[in-house]
Amino acid sequence: MSNYISAVNEAIMREIAQVPHAIVYGESIDNGSMMSGLSRNITVQDGGRVINIGNCEETHCGVGFGLMLKGVPAVLIAKQLDFLLLGVEQMVSTYSNIRSHRDVSTLGSFTIITVICDQGYQGPQSSFNGLGDICSMAKVPGYMLTNSQDTTRVVQSQLNRPGFRFICLSQRLYPTEFLELDLVQAAEDCSVFQYYEGDDTTIVCFNLSLPEGLTLHKKIVDNGRSAALFSANYVFPQDWQLIRDSVTHTRKLVMIDDSKSVNLLGHRMMSTLSEQCPPFQSVTVTREDDIDFRVGPDDLQVDYEDVIARLGV
Amino acid sequence: MDIERRQLAWEVVRLRYWQHLVNEGLKEGKIPKVPVHVAIGNEAIAVAICNMMQPEDELALSHRNMAYNLARRGEFGPVYREYLMEPTGVAGGKLASMNLTQPELGIVYSSSILGNNVPVACGLALGKQTLDEPGIVIALMGDGSIEEGSFYEGLVFAKTHGLRLLMIIENNDHSMSSTVAQRRCPISVGDMCAAVEVPFRQMRGNNVWKYLDNVQDARRTVHEGGPMCIEVFVEALTNHSGPTPFGPSDPKNLSLDNGLIVEQSPNDPVYVVEQSIPTSAMAEMTDRVFAEKSVEETP
Repeated sequence: MSNYISAVNEAIMREIAQVPHAIVYGESIDNGSMMSGLSRNITVQDGGRVINIGNCEETHCGVGFGLMLKGVPAVLIAKQLDFLLLGVEQMVSTYSNIRSHRDVSTLGSFTIITVICDQGYQGPQSSFNGLGDICSMAKVPGYMLTNSQDTTRVVQSQLNRPGFRFICLSQRLYPTEFLELDLVQAAEDCSVFQYYEGDDTTIVCFNLSLPEGLTLHKKIVDNGRSAALFSANYVFPQDWQLIRDSVTHTRKLVMIDDSKSVNLLGHRMMSTLSEQCPPFQSVTVTREDDIDFRVGPDDLQVDYEDVIARLGV
Repeated sequence: MDIERRQLAWEVVRLRYWQHLVNEGLKEGKIPKVPVHVAIGNEAIAVAICNMMQPEDELALSHRNMAYNLARRGEFGPVYREYLMEPTGVAGGKLASMNLTQPELGIVYSSSILGNNVPVACGLALGKQTLDEPGIVIALMGDGSIEEGSFYEGLVFAKTHGLRLLMIIENNDHSMSSTVAQRRCPISVGDMCAAVEVPFRQMRGNNVWKYLDNVQDARRTVHEGGPMCIEVFVEALTNHSGPTPFGPSDPKNLSLDNGLIVEQSPNDPVYVVEQSIPTSAMAEMTDRVFAEKSVEETP
């Protein structure tokens, strides 16, 4: 049984090796620890390149869009999502510019693979964990890799797709055993994955909160009830049909989001579902408003018994 | 006067006339919504670059891209109608001014954010290199852009990877309404380039023929040896954006009624042309542009 980072690395490298003319670039991607294993064993086809680059995040991002305009598949592997804040201007303005007049399906692909610091031991400056915030600014798709199912499907279907997207890893999952989950169903665009069916409540996880969702699911099952479990990615426009069908059936919804943003896609989902579903009971599990930015574990605090009690399951 | 020398002169004169037409349109409120940055004073470098470009070359422009879009297009109406957001504009009315591109003419990217086009140009050049395509990428920017970190990042990136990138800095001493002295310390672009061993050259005087020789030479340098940077000094003969003058108190009183030349000095590329060609040739060119159809009649 492989651990998370080894399994994700293998899936990504397997896909990159199949992309003609791919340019894979990033800081320290071909030396040292290979970004703690994320960029180990990169192989590109003839005509492709692996480029170790310096510290210039805005240029990293702009180069990807230039390559996209040339029709060249580009994969930027970046150590941390918060480092890429220096390149947000490119991700937002340049991509909006390109999309305004070019048929993206005729251009190259630009994929940023990066790690979200979803643990707080790297210090306050690395506490940014909200992929949805960046995705929202220019409606850029963003996908989380948390287990065998989403990793396989996202990497295979999105990594070399024309256009721009993020594929993100969880830092706290690095040393853990790779989750092998069964899949009930998944949206074709990888916007939603369903891992369990259930009649008594619907659980939807955002950002990197699937581990908390799995824990809640287990506790509900241990209570002799069943719960449908979903994880949602940042894909625009978002189609909530799979979740809508479940909530219509269960009439109970738990939305879990571990990001520190105040602008949560889950809130938008709940607003949409409240208009489209019969009345349902809901519980949201999110960060407190007064987030502690000091060094610490930075886990999302979930009072599972309270959630179960409030739902009556 | 040989044909090539005459043609360059004609292109400078024609480009000036077209920019005057845009300015007159702005003054009369005919371009009411789209912010437009006229580049009267930049004609010599724009015509030189556009004549230097080979079919395989690509241009990444800034928000002040009018002179290049007009010079590459070689016609006025489709560009002007783009500023009016009309479907018959060069980009179907989707891009208007600051992001205007014409990929079929090699203008593949234009950015309204200072310094933003440098990393994109690096990516274009890296793509050319990877695909083993001929040609170079030209990134155009102003003296405001060199204050941005992306300019330095781009120098380092292009040098490190041996990219065929020609960086053109149009130094008009202005960023919006601030002069360099009003906003920052001087920047020696030559020293910045020297620090990363990128060839550097300055150009001044607005002589389109000399400019063309220089940029053709620079293109050879870039094609054979990697990135190069040229700082060309231009005069801001128009306001940052919108009409010139912007109102009765504006000392810059541009009007097509006063003729094509704005300033009787080497700061004005059309003045330089006038001083460099026979009087009869200049008169003929002037008559020819003024005989063009009006904006409304332009196809």
